Amino acid sequence: MIQEAQPSLRTGSDILNKLQWSAGPWGKPRPAAVIAGIVIMLLLPWGLDAISFGAFAIHLLILIFGWGMVVECWNLIMGVSGIYSFGQLALYAVGGFTSGILVKEFGFTPWVTMWAGAVMTAFVAVIIGLPVLRLKGAYVVLLTLAFHELFRNWILNGPRWISYGGYGLREVPRLPPASWFGAEKTLPVQFMLGGFNIDLSGDKVLLLYYYLGLVLFGLCTFAIWRILYSPIGMSFRALRDSEAYAVSRGIDPFRFKLFLFAFSAFFTGLAGAYLTHYDGTISPVLLDFGRLINLLAMIALGGWGTFWGPIFGTALLTVLPEVLRSLEGYRNLSIGLALALIAMFAPQGLLPALVRLFRRATKGRRARQAARPVQPKEAIESLKQ
Amino acid sequence: MHVQDLFQAAYSGILYGSVYGLMAIGLTLIWGSLRMLNLAHGSLYLSGAYLAFALVNLKVVHLPLLVSFGLAVVGAGVVGFLIQFLMVDRILGKPGWDTASLIVTVGASIMLQSAALLIFGAQRKAMPVLLEGRFRIGAMLIDYHRLMIIGLGVVSLIALSLFLRRTRYGLAIQAVSQHMDAARLMGIPVRSTFWIVMFLSAALAGLAGVLLSSVFELSPTAGYNPMARALVVTIFGGLGSVKGTIWAAFIIGLLESFLQVYAGAGWALPGLFGFMIVMLIIRPNGLFGLGEMQRL
Repeated sequence: MIQEAQPSLRTGSDILNKLQWSAGPWGKPRPAAVIAGIVIMLLLPWGLDAISFGAFAIHLLILIFGWGMVVECWNLIMGVSGIYSFGQLALYAVGGFTSGILVKEFGFTPWVTMWAGAVMTAFVAVIIGLPVLRLKGAYVVLLTLAFHELFRNWILNGPRWISYGGYGLREVPRLPPASWFGAEKTLPVQFMLGGFNIDLSGDKVLLLYYYLGLVLFGLCTFAIWRILYSPIGMSFRALRDSEAYAVSRGIDPFRFKLFLFAFSAFFTGLAGAYLTHYDGTISPVLLDFGRLINLLAMIALGGWGTFWGPIFGTALLTVLPEVLRSLEGYRNLSIGLALALIAMFAPQGLLPALVRLFRRATKGRRARQAARPVQPKEAIESLKQ
Repeated sequence: MHVQDLFQAAYSGILYGSVYGLMAIGLTLIWGSLRMLNLAHGSLYLSGAYLAFALVNLKVVHLPLLVSFGLAVVGAGVVGFLIQFLMVDRILGKPGWDTASLIVTVGASIMLQSAALLIFGAQRKAMPVLLEGRFRIGAMLIDYHRLMIIGLGVVSLIALSLFLRRTRYGLAIQAVSQHMDAARLMGIPVRSTFWIVMFLSAALAGLAGVLLSSVFELSPTAGYNPMARALVVTIFGGLGSVKGTIWAAFIIGLLESFLQVYAGAGWALPGLFGFMIVMLIIRPNGLFGLGEMQRL
């Protein structure tokens, strides 16, 4: 009797686990893996310092942090909740320009203006979202593209204190602002902090950006993780997969979408401000269609609507062009080809496809594990939970 | 405000309108039948224009202008057919159509654009004009070339609507766009109908490219602006509605040229986009959009 009942018990607990994993407030990250990841990321610069191209590697990591935030947020809108918004780069630029102007024209410190840029971006997103989010599908694509173009035009032809004649903001003060430490106007900076002599001269200033980027990226990733594996994230997926059903269960699509739009805009603007202060410049060239496509490729290649996919895609498309620099002319051609191939043969993206390949390769081992007879005690315990 | 300004604006508005009509009708046909937002449309414009440029500058044989332009239009159609045949057919009917079709068309668009960049280089090219010469009415200068563009645009729009209403294939396209499954049950080959749609709309985009690139210059990024305009037009007319798109093309063309004359060239595109945003807020389905019930 018990032998027969076991399979159903087993599947029942599996389903229960799955449900908790997707709708439960936290998801289940392995604490050891998370801590190991954080420690590795904290110590990485010291390791890279020993290599000849270490500084360049840190530069790439900084870019991955910045653009990774943007791509994760875009994925949250496009992939997870199915709003085909193409306004992400414009939102990025809002954050960058706001922070840059506040620093350059009004003399605030970048540490504060970065957050002001993020808040401003969220505000702009709410204004854009009010008309956009009432529409569906292709209309959303078109209207957000229109906002993108409007914004670009405004930067190009708008007031002089923004456009500087189409060159954009140049010589935006970089972090750390020298005046903070009573030092001269230019880097390098040396100061005492809690008894440690901190030297941020030369390439070492990269470290400041690295750790700042790590903190911001970690914050953004954690927030997205928190949203994805919460009832809110469940609502978004329900809205994407069957809006009528989700609405009938009492989910207000407009409110949820507006919240998501503002949320992702906040971190997009933050990333924009961060990278603007890192580059020291932001210009309308940023809003070229090619850049938008590049970001789209990061999502689509990495894994549309997944958690790790966008991060993987960003890393891939940031590092690969640098490694294959000699093939620069063929870069766009191959991105286009890769996009088309991905959509045709692995619509979920490269990372899920790789994971599936890996699983298939290790299938034998897992099959042996699964064949292990389930102890009645275990099954009952898992049902109790 | 002179009267001739007004006439000049109206004249170039009609010119823009006929070309935007050519571009937008393809977008709307594809949306109507396939429910796919073809973001490769600007690149089809580009491939028509570059094919014409290559054929005109052929060293081996010297083709007459008219022949090489005609060949370029057909060639653009073939490029569109190839996109459909090689890429879109593979994702047809699979889950995740919205996302996949968006990515595929974007991918095709970048491939064509960067191929143009690799083959022809980034510098701007000038396209020869089919008909030289101009005449004068009062203070207005009218050149034959632009007049011919208007004529060709209007004629092909009329021909297209006749094709859609009077021929077997046109009726098949209409049937497929109204209800794909019902059309398939009635024995209409849906796949090859999509091929026809794609060929037609790509050829029309190519025609627009051939005609317009002698008015503006030709460069690998030249496809973006016409596509942006075509998107505005299709939105304004209601995605999927042919009648609405033709009306909208001329309204948008006139609006743009009046904005250019009376507000300055820099305001034309922002003005159009602002107009579109207001339009979408007031009438989310466009001028003649009828919701999902009745298309084409």
